Amino acid sequence: MSETTQLRVLDFDCPTCASTVERALSNQQGVENVEVHYTTGRVEIGYDDSVADPETFARTIENQGYTPQPA
Amino acid sequence: MMSTQSVERYYRTHRQAIVAGTSGVLYGGGWGLGYATGFDTASAVILILAAIVGGYDIAKTAYHEVKSRTLGIKTLVTLAAVGAVAIGAYWEAAAVVFLFSLGSYLEGRTMRKTRNALEELLEMTPDTATVRRDGQLQEVPAREVEDGDIVVVKPGEKIPVDGDVIDGESAVNQAPVTGESAPVYKSPGEEVYAGTINQEGAIEVETTGAGSDTTLQRIIRRVEQAQEAQSPTESIIDRFARYYTPGVIALSIGAYAVTQNAILSLTLLVIGCPGALVIGPPVSIVSAIGNAARSGVLMKGGEHLERAGKIDLVAFDKTGTLTKGETRVSDIEGFGVESDEALELAAIAEKKSEHHLADAIVEAARHRTGAATDGGTAAVRPDAASVPRAAGSIPDPDGFEVIAGKGVVAHHDGREVVVGNRTLLDERGVEIPTAVAEYVREREERGETAVHVAREVTASGGNEASGEHDRVASHEVVGVIAMRDELREAAPAVIADLRDAGIETVMLTGDNERTASAVANEVGIDDYRAELLPEGKQRVVEDLREEGHVVAMVGDGINDAPSLAAADVGIAMGAAGTDTAIETADMALMADDLQRIPYAVTLSKATRWNVYENVGLAVATVTLLLAGVLTSYVTLALGMLVHEASVLAVIANGMRLLRY
Repeated sequence: MSETTQLRVLDFDCPTCASTVERALSNQQGVENVEVHYTTGRVEIGYDDSVADPETFARTIENQGYTPQPA
Repeated sequence: MMSTQSVERYYRTHRQAIVAGTSGVLYGGGWGLGYATGFDTASAVILILAAIVGGYDIAKTAYHEVKSRTLGIKTLVTLAAVGAVAIGAYWEAAAVVFLFSLGSYLEGRTMRKTRNALEELLEMTPDTATVRRDGQLQEVPAREVEDGDIVVVKPGEKIPVDGDVIDGESAVNQAPVTGESAPVYKSPGEEVYAGTINQEGAIEVETTGAGSDTTLQRIIRRVEQAQEAQSPTESIIDRFARYYTPGVIALSIGAYAVTQNAILSLTLLVIGCPGALVIGPPVSIVSAIGNAARSGVLMKGGEHLERAGKIDLVAFDKTGTLTKGETRVSDIEGFGVESDEALELAAIAEKKSEHHLADAIVEAARHRTGAATDGGTAAVRPDAASVPRAAGSIPDPDGFEVIAGKGVVAHHDGREVVVGNRTLLDERGVEIPTAVAEYVREREERGETAVHVAREVTASGGNEASGEHDRVASHEVVGVIAMRDELREAAPAVIADLRDAGIETVMLTGDNERTASAVANEVGIDDYRAELLPEGKQRVVEDLREEGHVVAMVGDGINDAPSLAAADVGIAMGAAGTDTAIETADMALMADDLQRIPYAVTLSKATRWNVYENVGLAVATVTLLLAGVLTSYVTLALGMLVHEASVLAVIANGMRLLRY
C-alpha cells in the first residue's frame, strides 16, 4: 500500500541542501516520491509500506546533517 | 546537574552553534598562539583541529552531495579546506571552515524565523473542544470532533472547529483567518471558523469541519503551497545555478593550470558559490507570502506575486466591491397613484425574480405598513421597530418573464405590468412623461438606480403572451423606485492610496452612464465603464491589457470569475467561506476589507524590488570578489567572509518583508 508521511526540517541553509536530502531519500528502498521544500522546510515522502520503513526516513535526514521534526 | 539525555538533546538541537563556536575558539587560539609565540607546530595542530571540528558536518554533507551527484556549496568549501591544508595554509583552512559554519548557523537561524511565520497561525487552534454528547458536556481532542457535533465555546475561548452558531450570540475576533482586527458579531445561523476567538458570550456551534478540515488549516496548506511554488525569477536562477557551480570548478582548475597558484584557485572555489543568488529571491517571496497570510491576504505563489508587482491599473467591479452590495430602496415616487401602490405593484411583478434589485423592491414592500401616505415622495426606512410582513402576503404575479439586463414583464389583475429601465419601456412602446424623466435623472445624478413601474391602461384580457406593443400608449408609468447601494466607507481612501502609489483605477458596472458617473465621482475613481454585462467586463479587462496595462481585477470571485481570470492578477474579496473564489483568484482577501488592496499591491511591488535588490547584491558581490581574487586583493578567508556576509545580507533584506 502506498502511504504518505511528512516531516519538517527547519535548518536547511541553502536550496542545494534540500535537493541533497531529496536525492538521499529517493534512493531509499520502497520510496516512491519525495518532495523537499527549502522555503518551508516541508518534506513529503510517498512510500510503499510493505518495503520501506518510515522510521528510517528521519535517520536518513539526520545522516545528511539536518534535524528532522514531526510536521 | 543536567541528565545525560538532556545534554544529548541540547547538543542535538544546538549542534550547529556548538560546532561553529568550538571551531571559532580553536581558530582564534591557534591563530593567537602562532602570532604571539611563533610556536608554529602547535599552532598548526590547533588550526587543523579547528578545521576538522568545523568541517566534519560540512564534509559529511559534501560526501552525500557528491554521492548523489549534486554539486553544492559544501562540496566547494570542503575542496577549498582540504586543498588549503594540503598546501600548508592551515590558517586559511580553519578560517574558511569557521566562517562558513558560523554563516550557515546564522542563516539557518534566520530562515527558521521565516519558516515559522505560519506557526503562529497553527497555534491558534485549541487542542481540545467541549462537546455536548448525550446531554453531557465532554472534553475531547479537537481533531476528533465529528461533523454535526455541538461544541460549546465559552467567552474568551478560541473556537476549536468550523461550524454554524446554533445558540447564543457573541463578538468573534476573526483576525487569524481574515486578518480583520475588529470583532465580527455572530448570531445563530452564522458561520464561525476554527482558530478565531470568542470574545463576549457563550455560543453553541454545530460542527461542519474539524481537525485538518477547517478553513484555517486549508489557508495554511495553501500558503505553504504558494511558498513552495517557484517564481519565474527563482526558476531562472535555479537553472543558472545548475551550470554555474560546475563552471566555477572548471574555472578554478583552469586558473590553476595557467597560474600554478593553488590559493588563487581555491579562493575562486569559495567565492564562486552561488549562495546569495540562490537564497535571496526565495527568502523575499516566502517572507512576503507569510506576511500577507497574517494580514488575511492569500497569495497563490511567487509567480503571481511577481506579476502583481508590475500592476499599473486596478479595475474594480462596482457592486459588492466598492459598494457594500446591499441594495436598498431609497425613494419611491408615484405618478398618478400613491407611492405605496406603485411599490406594491413592482413587488408583485418582481416577486419571482432573483435579481438583487428585485430583492430590494420586495424587501421594501414587506416593510411598508400598507397605509396610505401623502401620495407623494416617501422614504422607506426599514427600521427595526416595524415588523415586516411575510413575503407570502405579496400576491403572486400571473405570468412573469425576465428580460435580461432590462427588467421584468408580469401580469396582475388582468393587466400587464412592466418594471425595468428606460430601454425596456422604449421597447414596449411606453411613453415616458417629462416629470418621470426629470425625477429619474435627479436620482441617477445622485448615483442611484431608478426603475420604472408601468401598467397597462386597460385590461388586455388575461395573461396571454406579453408581446402586444402595437397599441399606442397602452401603458402608463405609475411610479419610479430609486435604489441605492451604499459605498464602502473605505472606498475613497483606497482609491486615493492607489493613486498615490502611481496606479490607475477603473470602475466596471452594469449601471447606466449617469449613475456610474455619479458613483465614480463620489469615490474619486479615475475612470469608469458603464452599462456592462458580465461578459462586457471581461472584454474591458482584455482591452485594457491590450493597451499595455498590467491589470488587476477586484471582484467577489464568483459572479465576476471570468473577468478575474482575464486579468493579469485576479483579486477576490471576502473569500473566507468560498473555495471557488480562492481557486479562481491569484490573490484572495479573506475579509471583505477593501483596504487590503493597496496593501497587497504595494507589498507585491516591494517584493519585486526586494528580489531585484537581492539579485543585484549577489551579482555585485561575486563580480567584486572575482575582480579582487584575480588581482590578488582578496584572500581565501576574506573571500569566505564577504561571501557569507552577502548571504546574510540578502536574507536580512528579504526578511524586511515580514514586517512590511
